Amino acid sequence: MKKSLVTLFTLLALAGCTGGIAAPMTSAGSTPSASAASPIIAEAAWVRATTGATNASMTGAFMSLVNPGETEIRLVGASTSVAPMVQIHEMVSVDGAMVMQEATGGVAIPVGGHLHLKPGSYHVMLMMLKAPLAVGDQVPLTLRFSDGSQLEVNAPVKAFVEEEDHYHSASPSPSMSPSSTGS
Amino acid sequence: MTGATAEPAGLGRRAVLGSSAAVGGLAVGSTLGWFGGQAGSPAAPVTPEAVIRQRYSPHELHQAGISTPTPAVTRLLSFRLRTPRVAAELTKLLRLWSGDIEALMAGAPIPGDTAPDMAQAGVSLSVTVGLGPRVFELPGLASRRPSGYVEVPAMAHDRLQDRWSGGDVLAIVAADDPTTVAYASRRLERDAATFATLAWVQGGSWRGTDSAGQPVTGRNLFGQLDGTANPSGADLEAVVWASGPAWFAGGTTLVVRRIELDLDFWDATTRERQEKVIGRRLDSGAPLTGSHERDDLDLTALDAAGRPLIALDAHARRAHPSVNGGRRILRRGLNYTHTEGGHRGVVPSAGLVFLSFQADLANQYLPLQTSLDQRDALHDWTATIGSAVFAIPPGFGPGDWLARGLFEP
Repeated sequence: MKKSLVTLFTLLALAGCTGGIAAPMTSAGSTPSASAASPIIAEAAWVRATTGATNASMTGAFMSLVNPGETEIRLVGASTSVAPMVQIHEMVSVDGAMVMQEATGGVAIPVGGHLHLKPGSYHVMLMMLKAPLAVGDQVPLTLRFSDGSQLEVNAPVKAFVEEEDHYHSASPSPSMSPSSTGS
Repeated sequence: MTGATAEPAGLGRRAVLGSSAAVGGLAVGSTLGWFGGQAGSPAAPVTPEAVIRQRYSPHELHQAGISTPTPAVTRLLSFRLRTPRVAAELTKLLRLWSGDIEALMAGAPIPGDTAPDMAQAGVSLSVTVGLGPRVFELPGLASRRPSGYVEVPAMAHDRLQDRWSGGDVLAIVAADDPTTVAYASRRLERDAATFATLAWVQGGSWRGTDSAGQPVTGRNLFGQLDGTANPSGADLEAVVWASGPAWFAGGTTLVVRRIELDLDFWDATTRERQEKVIGRRLDSGAPLTGSHERDDLDLTALDAAGRPLIALDAHARRAHPSVNGGRRILRRGLNYTHTEGGHRGVVPSAGLVFLSFQADLANQYLPLQTSLDQRDALHDWTATIGSAVFAIPPGFGPGDWLARGLFEP
């Protein structure tokens, strides 16, 4: 079920969600592009460790995004050097069970408010990880927003203890395309 | 602690930088700007700082929890590294902790906090981190060891126990209330667990305010005012803060001593003798040759019979800078009571977790302690049962991490 949902929403995202990105992303770690500095502030970013996990190919990045401006801005994408495929995910209830799916169209950061990316809720999904992520590693993330701005965030890898294991249960489907990550 | 806790340059910086809690989107220039701010800060007048409901920032030249007032509750957590020969393991821990400390001291949940609702601002929370001697045995770090940062050899009067001694990494967590200290300690323990195990945990309480909430010198469990002679203002700067090596500028060194107090024997001692042992009055803390707490000792004054008013073995005389080549330290006390139960019954004990901060441990603390070990009337009532030393790095800029300059010069 989860797998099929991820696939479905990935395909939907490919159809409708990437249009807001102003310019193709350069690879992570390159010289900062000409895109505007983002008004969004990221706080308390972290990535869940994969060491010891049954599926070390994917994990979640979490943080609090603050929009101090007067215009609603949406988080529409992200990229990282540690994974070729990154999606913005949300959790929805399907047949009484919480499953994750790509948040098509991104996620709004309300004016003067916060968007909490957290376990069991919105998160940045890092897929097809190139290597396991251990506690204490640092993950560079580039967040992309609906106003065309970008934000570089360095997120520490931390242990994760929540009982329900949302972020390891699905594996990427061969039908998934990394093109929605922009990397 | 009133005089000792004034922090002339810190007030301005706190006002400028204290609200920054962001860890994301950091510009390369942020660290430079922070250090630039240090140099440009005008010195504020020396004024006593309020004790309770304070907000401290880790982004000062110095870490908080040293010259800031001692709040009601302090816990020290000493860790041993699981892989003490791999610097990368320690730097991962320090980076994780730096993000945690930034959030905790701002009253915000740490990244990945599993109890985020516990975070609260305005509870005088400070986290102070130190590095034990083994850190400087890591490859390449020996040359960056702070000057005079050495182990304290066991003194003749010491009764040291391993369970209160040593450690590779220290976190001192202090706040207005025990719940905050428990929460912050737990978060730091969790993030340290991958890299280190607890060597010991000890702590205690302090009452640094009077009945009206005004800052006063606190009392240890002997009832003595403790910290009266602490340096303040420019003296404090010279006594406490190291100027080098480069990564350590603004840092200091710490000696932790767990001193057991024989309260039963003290109770059985007459008040006159209690005052003679220390050389000060118990009520006001004034020297036996003066009338106010802050009066300096008159070490030459004699009574009618020609004996020194402040006895030759009185603690205040033996610790006085004038008989120690001008050497001084900043002391910070924590009162503890410790009860162990067993099939033979309950065994209570009590004492002082004594923290000594100084720029140069070998040239300030060691001669003082050696002299006191040789002669100090207090020895009849005290026994040091734990000892540890730590190098306390300076503060760190927003988004930077503790002691980075040690590993990435």
